[in-house]
Amino acid sequence: MLEARSALTTARPLAGEGLAINEAGDFLLTQLAWFDKSDEKTLKDLLGALPARVGQTAAAEAGTLLRTGPQQLWLLQEGRTAALPLLPSSTLVTPLSSSRSRIAVAGPKARDVLARCAAIDFHASAFKPGSFAMTGIHHTPALIHCIGEDSFHVFAMRTFGLAVWEWLTDAATGL
Amino acid sequence: MTGFRRLDTGGRIDRGKTITFTYDGSRAFGFAGDTLASALLASGRVLVARSFKYHRPRGFLSAGPEEPNGLFTVGDEPNTPGTLCEIHEGLAAKSQNAWPSPDFDLMAINGLASPIFGAGFYYKTFMGPFRKSWMFYEPFIRKAAGLGIASASADKTRHDVSHGFCDVLVVGSGPAGLAAALTAGRAGLRVVLAELDFELGGSLLSAGSEALEHWRKEAISELEALKNVRLLTRAAVQGLYDGNQVVVQRRPEPGQSAATLEIIRARTIIHAGGATERPLVFQNNDRPGVMLASAVRSYLHRHALVPKSQAVVVTNNDSAYATAFDLAEAGVAVTIAELRAAPSGDLLARAAQLGIAIFPNTGVADVVGDKQLRQVKLGGRHSVTIDCDVLAMSGGWSPNVHLTSHGGIKPKFDESLAAFLPGGFAAGQFGAGALMGTFGLLASVREGEAAGQAALAFLGSKKQVRPVDAPGIREDRAYAISPVWGTAGPKTKAFVDFQNDVTAKDVATAHQEGYLSVEHLKRYTTLGMGTDQGKTSNINALAMMADLRGLSVNETGTTTFRPPYLPLTVGAIAGRSVGHHFRPTRRSPLHDWHAAHGVTFIEAGLWMRAWYYDWAGRTPEEAYVREMELVRKGVGLADVSTLGKIDVQGPDAAEFLNRLYVNGFAKLPVGKARYGVMLNDDGVVLDDGTTSRISDTQFYMTTTTAQAGEVMSWLEYLLQCHWPELKVHVASLTDEWGGMALSGPKSREALQLAFPEADVSHDGLPYMGVKDITFGGTTVRLMRLSFSGELAYEIHCPADFVIALWEHVLKVADPLGIKPYGLEALASLRIEKGHVAGLELDHRNTLDDLGLGKMAAREKPYIGKELRFREKLQAPDRWSLVGLELMEPGKKLRGGSILFAAADEIKGHGRGYITSVTWSTELNKFIALGLYQGGLKHEGEEIVAAFPLKNEQVKLKIVSPHFIDREGARLHA
Repeated sequence: MLEARSALTTARPLAGEGLAINEAGDFLLTQLAWFDKSDEKTLKDLLGALPARVGQTAAAEAGTLLRTGPQQLWLLQEGRTAALPLLPSSTLVTPLSSSRSRIAVAGPKARDVLARCAAIDFHASAFKPGSFAMTGIHHTPALIHCIGEDSFHVFAMRTFGLAVWEWLTDAATGL
Repeated sequence: MTGFRRLDTGGRIDRGKTITFTYDGSRAFGFAGDTLASALLASGRVLVARSFKYHRPRGFLSAGPEEPNGLFTVGDEPNTPGTLCEIHEGLAAKSQNAWPSPDFDLMAINGLASPIFGAGFYYKTFMGPFRKSWMFYEPFIRKAAGLGIASASADKTRHDVSHGFCDVLVVGSGPAGLAAALTAGRAGLRVVLAELDFELGGSLLSAGSEALEHWRKEAISELEALKNVRLLTRAAVQGLYDGNQVVVQRRPEPGQSAATLEIIRARTIIHAGGATERPLVFQNNDRPGVMLASAVRSYLHRHALVPKSQAVVVTNNDSAYATAFDLAEAGVAVTIAELRAAPSGDLLARAAQLGIAIFPNTGVADVVGDKQLRQVKLGGRHSVTIDCDVLAMSGGWSPNVHLTSHGGIKPKFDESLAAFLPGGFAAGQFGAGALMGTFGLLASVREGEAAGQAALAFLGSKKQVRPVDAPGIREDRAYAISPVWGTAGPKTKAFVDFQNDVTAKDVATAHQEGYLSVEHLKRYTTLGMGTDQGKTSNINALAMMADLRGLSVNETGTTTFRPPYLPLTVGAIAGRSVGHHFRPTRRSPLHDWHAAHGVTFIEAGLWMRAWYYDWAGRTPEEAYVREMELVRKGVGLADVSTLGKIDVQGPDAAEFLNRLYVNGFAKLPVGKARYGVMLNDDGVVLDDGTTSRISDTQFYMTTTTAQAGEVMSWLEYLLQCHWPELKVHVASLTDEWGGMALSGPKSREALQLAFPEADVSHDGLPYMGVKDITFGGTTVRLMRLSFSGELAYEIHCPADFVIALWEHVLKVADPLGIKPYGLEALASLRIEKGHVAGLELDHRNTLDDLGLGKMAAREKPYIGKELRFREKLQAPDRWSLVGLELMEPGKKLRGGSILFAAADEIKGHGRGYITSVTWSTELNKFIALGLYQGGLKHEGEEIVAAFPLKNEQVKLKIVSPHFIDREGARLHA
């Protein structure tokens, strides 16, 4: 078996008062896309309820579904051994597990750190667990997923992963 | 002796906390709560600066952000208003624009020549005798004039940028702002209250009223207890932009070095930024000791500073009486010069009670004193000379319409208030208090509350909110003013703009010379420029110009208000995007391997790419040649992960690509790759690359590294805007897949060693063949493609596994002598083969320019097809691709050299240029690709390449761009 290597091998986890930044590797990410309502219904019948709007997520048996576009989902599965569910032929499948570095930002100061990085309203009343935003960090595309009250996953482009990590950890300075 | 003394009691200072700082290298003292201005005044320093042009002695005019005179270099930061600078232990302040000191400034000699230094002097005097004379004089003029000097050392302040959001942003924390914040806060809305000062309260801080102080404290206490309210002090709202977005600069706490620029997106904004008092224009009104009346009152109530014994107040409105009364109650002898004929009875009665003499219909004729005020000469109905320590002046109040005007809404002049008011608000914005011309405290509170209610209504909140309690003071008295703007005329020392040394005479000169528009007035005289942007000067000058032109002030108008409201450092704007964080670094999935194996990296756009390896040499010149030889004679492995990679899927994917590329893709078989070129819709080459057919409905596109993002955007644009009917989805795989190029005559052998179970024979994986295999538990894509011109393959796999796969290939092929090669060799090999790349695909060249015209399909339509046949794009003398060989052994050929025909004079832009150059290991000479007028029609001709930067000229021969293996025998081996 070929050994998997993270883009964040040289990144040092940050553990401070009220804040922890760590790599959250070991996930499988697959993009699912379709073209029309009937395709969507077929997918829904197989996976369960799909998140209705972009920015929303839904828990499915196969994993977490993130609505990333009007005709597009991300299927997020924990671990590297999960199998893809059986999908209809009308669904276009694009594996993206290697394309993103996933960075966990957690703690009471997490929202303040993120506010220094992206033009998103991270207030607890506005950015709630289960929601996500597709935005930019340090001039690069990023998806920020709120997975708990003060807990977030930042999906950075792999090739910018270390740059985004350094930007995030630097943002924590002085908080 | 002019100056202030500190009272034993009162003020908002903490006498128990003495703070030591330095001023021009000398130790100085103050108390916690002091600004640099108040601490210097308390220590007897009235003269603290020299003026911009004439080096006249200057003291503090104000106690706020409008300060035009008292600017200091604090630490490394120049032009810091002393009135905004909180003192702290270790603070080091230096005076500016004076040498050796403000007290004794040798440049004051400029003042002797001031009669000829008026507006336009430089423009008229230093433009001749030659065309470029101004460029000669300018450095000397700039050195003699000016404000502070920027430090050359790195900024020690950490600047952060953050993003904030709220329902209601309240700008200003005076009575109106506090009332608005209370109303919105009580409704449970997310409120941000931004205050420029280091304390909340605005004008309440300088009111000297126990009842108002009680109200202020109660309000702040309640706001602090509300979790939905953020109270920001030291927060300057610097700019207002579309969509209710504002930029707030948050200054560091005293002694701290962390500042933040917060970009706030507010659903509603309540403007309660107050008003600024304006000076009066009279002879020598700039002498140290002449101050705004509100500033004198502020120093009294905030810093317990009063004039030593005597003060004169000159005013055209009622507000200055509060200063006079408070000073008198503090034991200062006060005289009032009242420009109006008859102030109201209650003011006269109170003045009489306090023993204040009032001279009606009287103004200031002159100020006596050089380095500081000693006497005031009154003129008008009463001509009296009075000894005094401070002259407090009030020309009325100007609402702070700067911010409300940023969106392009011009302010409107209100005749009764003699002031500009906001000309309106964008949706969701409201105004209250002195900003709206409401100068009474109780009225401001009511108006602030109403603005808060308006914001609630705008946001659809139906929550019933408890009314804001009014402060326990008597009813407001009406604000009364008789505008006295001063007369633009012969007085050479009657200053309109203190910071830029613009006098009433300068305004008259500008008018006389035809600079009538306020914008021309500004540029001709420099009025309203500088760090204070005319906060105290603009209105007086506009009114003078209006008078000269016989127009109303409203007709004359204002100059344009633009962000920022206060000076903003470049560091604040840059934030953390400095040094290492100036831009993000993009790393290949093989980056860590390269770094651990003796690579030298080179920046290529945002990418950090493997340039060359130390196994091949210590310099790039040495290394790339050896790496080229490795590929030409054996086998090498290069990182090509940076190539753009795009997944194109859907039933119409083949049709989509067929429309996109100039050559056909509709019939590309599964398992085959094809080189393709795409054009912009203007017929110019956009990019090239190979695209492989993975299945009937799925393609794997590669693009050049440089154009990956642009091509991806282009594809999405086409699908969303031009051809939404096509059933195609695209997804970037640039980060998902990594890749390596296995190149050289031994590459098939190496590939077979790496993947023994796969058929990679000539027939099993033919030229341009594509094959997906499973290896090591993951998908590996094998493509027989060549960029180098040799037998070569690309091996792609998910990025997580690229290092492991790379190491595997190097290990198993080690007996073949395989080694890695870098970007320099990669780029050089393709020059020998004549493949165009980013340097040739520069968005200016056509297919025919690059020798690719024959590959375009004749029948099918494709993007750019029609426009590529425009007459200009088909001209026979266009600069087209040629190969170039150096004819002079021992000399060097340089990229970017300009090409000339042999008989040409070496001058101008020539007939083309060299795009790419390399040493050819095969031909043992320098070769190049270039664009030359007429292209290969000149094949065989000798031409000249000039490199003016090094004054070099060398002879070249034009040849085919395909230097090696024109038949393609190596590729197809």
